[in-house]
Amino acid sequence: MASMLELRTPGFNPCSVKYSPYYDSRLAVAASANYGIVGNGRLFCLGLSAAGVQIEKAFDTNDALYDLAWSEINENQLVVACGDGSIKLFDLGVNDFPVMNFHEHKRETFSVCWNPITKDTFISSSWDGTVKIWSPTRHESLKTLPIGCCTYSTAFSPSNPAIISAVSSDSHIRIFDLRTPVSAKYHLITMIPVHAPPSGPTLPRLADGRTYAGGMPAEILTHDWNKYNDTVIATGGVDRLIRTFDIRNPTGGPLAVMAGHEYAVKRVAWSPHASDILVSASYDMTVRVWSDDSSSVPAAPGTIRTGAEIGLMNRHTEFATGVDWCLFGSGGWVASVGWDERVLLWDAHGLLRR
Amino acid sequence: MGALDRLQSLGNQLSSAVGTGGKAKILEKNPDDIVVTACLRTAITKGGKGQFKDTPAADLMAGALTAIIQRSGINPSLVEDIAVGTVLAPGGGATEMRAAALVAGFPETTAVRTLNRQCSSGLQACVDVANQIRTGMIEVGIGAGVESMSTQYGPGAVTEFSDLLENHSEAANCKVPMGVLSEAMAKDRGVSRASQDAFAAASFQKAVKAQADGLFKEEIVPLKVKFEDPKSGETKEIVVDRDDGIRDGVTAESLGKIRAAFAKDGSIHAGNASQVSDGAAAVLLMKRSTAEKLGQTIIGKFVAASIVGVKPLLMGIGPWKAIPKVFELTGITKDDVDIYEINEAFASQCLWCANELGIPQEKINPKGGAIAFGHPLGCTGARQVSTLLYELKRRGQQVGVTSMCVGTGMGMAAVWVAE
Repeated sequence: MASMLELRTPGFNPCSVKYSPYYDSRLAVAASANYGIVGNGRLFCLGLSAAGVQIEKAFDTNDALYDLAWSEINENQLVVACGDGSIKLFDLGVNDFPVMNFHEHKRETFSVCWNPITKDTFISSSWDGTVKIWSPTRHESLKTLPIGCCTYSTAFSPSNPAIISAVSSDSHIRIFDLRTPVSAKYHLITMIPVHAPPSGPTLPRLADGRTYAGGMPAEILTHDWNKYNDTVIATGGVDRLIRTFDIRNPTGGPLAVMAGHEYAVKRVAWSPHASDILVSASYDMTVRVWSDDSSSVPAAPGTIRTGAEIGLMNRHTEFATGVDWCLFGSGGWVASVGWDERVLLWDAHGLLRR
Repeated sequence: MGALDRLQSLGNQLSSAVGTGGKAKILEKNPDDIVVTACLRTAITKGGKGQFKDTPAADLMAGALTAIIQRSGINPSLVEDIAVGTVLAPGGGATEMRAAALVAGFPETTAVRTLNRQCSSGLQACVDVANQIRTGMIEVGIGAGVESMSTQYGPGAVTEFSDLLENHSEAANCKVPMGVLSEAMAKDRGVSRASQDAFAAASFQKAVKAQADGLFKEEIVPLKVKFEDPKSGETKEIVVDRDDGIRDGVTAESLGKIRAAFAKDGSIHAGNASQVSDGAAAVLLMKRSTAEKLGQTIIGKFVAASIVGVKPLLMGIGPWKAIPKVFELTGITKDDVDIYEINEAFASQCLWCANELGIPQEKINPKGGAIAFGHPLGCTGARQVSTLLYELKRRGQQVGVTSMCVGTGMGMAAVWVAE
């Protein structure tokens, strides 16, 4: 690979990396001692300069860190998901301690996401089986959405501030619309069984000719909204497959199924620059770039796209746990992190095969 | 928020081999697998006249337990519990089995218990011990089974039914003799006399060949016992090292001449039903991590077991229901299995189950079964483990199932992997 920047995080195994939405030279890494199993966490804030990538600031926490999200409204702030169930808001201008601490989750907080539209709220998901909606100015959550099982990842729709998605260990995507009445369903509008084949009398075929019969339910560890098609979500998880779904058709099965990872998929992220490109990080130590083939000819009825793996980055030497796209520049810079205590910044164009 | 929860959660994310199906999953080697590091049995001899006719069950068990210490080389003080399946012993045999363990060389710190799930007692003992290890209750244990039908088989085996039981029709069915209900079942399910005789003859022929080829050598441990010669009345010491129920020259035709035992127009007779026998078997179990720490040789792994209930009068169909259930638990299919050890209580029920499940004949009891060498009730379930694992290993195959029907209407099955 042509160019790659590298930073080590000695003693801490990163779990998540995110580029700042404000600066092309700023990113942050959530990391934990001892692989997040027992021990402290550390948030690294990194800066890019002519000298390479450097640690500009670090914050220590008492328990492991599993995720982070940059504030969309203050370029110096970010929240982290903490192993003790708390969420901590750090400010780059304030040393050592968080400026806010939000502690309602009863088990590990696994993900956080800032509202990209209204910018005034963020959400978190937890092993306690809930998603909570927070204001950065209030210690108590604004709302709790029940999931009922370990929820590894939650996200806002990129186009609608009232729509929230969550994926969990029960193999389902849940979509909540906060505009609906609370009623008995707590804003839940859609549940998509990720493992299931489409409903209907006949099973569809994959683009390679094989029948797609779904699979056993498996934990979903990650998901992301397509940045161009606001009804498309990609998921990844323990069954090693990446799937895309249209939330308007919850029983229609996946739009695309992408196979290749040899262990669980820990993180997926759609490109902010192209509607059909996503990147994934896996326990198989690789980071892969995929096209879901949606930009080419439409899929024939009764068939499911298989996508195409268009690049593979295998420089990590332990589980690859986090990956994110840089919003700026020519479009293609990716940051990836892994349990090998490394942050790697690289240009995905450099490994595209097409 | 415990570290162990986090670790286990990560482990689950890694080990779920959903994409590659159930067989790959059960072939995986993980530190918390329950593995077999030694398994063996005594010879199985004919009830009433065989070479063990004067040997009490506890002596057989003591012999098998002594042998398992020798064969595995394990320090007996590391064995925390021994479960012995035994069916006919008065008082469950609890006292004499504890004594047998002490005789075999286990210290007083090794606990012993007996259990009775009829013909599956030996398997249940192995499964119980495996589950005790899995939950962390013990580190190392022995699942065993024994029966001396010579000394303990008789009318005393079942207590008289109360009026309450007698007046409940399904409950009363529980005491219908095996032969009678199997006869009814064979008729009901249309298993012909000829097909039963052919199956039984095949069992004899397979066992004769296996014995001649020395295929039982690895599993059988020779035992020195006292034997009273019925002719001279003289008691002498003999070494028993081969199954004496296996008869050469048995064919479907020769079996066809035997008169049915339970009904005039019946199909079941002594030649196509399991023999009344004496024998003992034992299986040493522990976690893979423990085995590696102790330097024990791993010969196989226990994967999962199932237990089901069926109608008491149709007890013979037990394996037909238990085997699919254990497949469900393990995610494998019938084609993933290389060898099925299905106890031949009666040719009729074993054959019917195999046909219903679509199991090819060549995969069932390749060294013969209880029709050829006997069914010492409590021993059989533990006996099947060594019969299965050594044969899988000899053939270079991996996945095996042991199963049996259980009196009063139950079935049990277990999946094992040879390594």
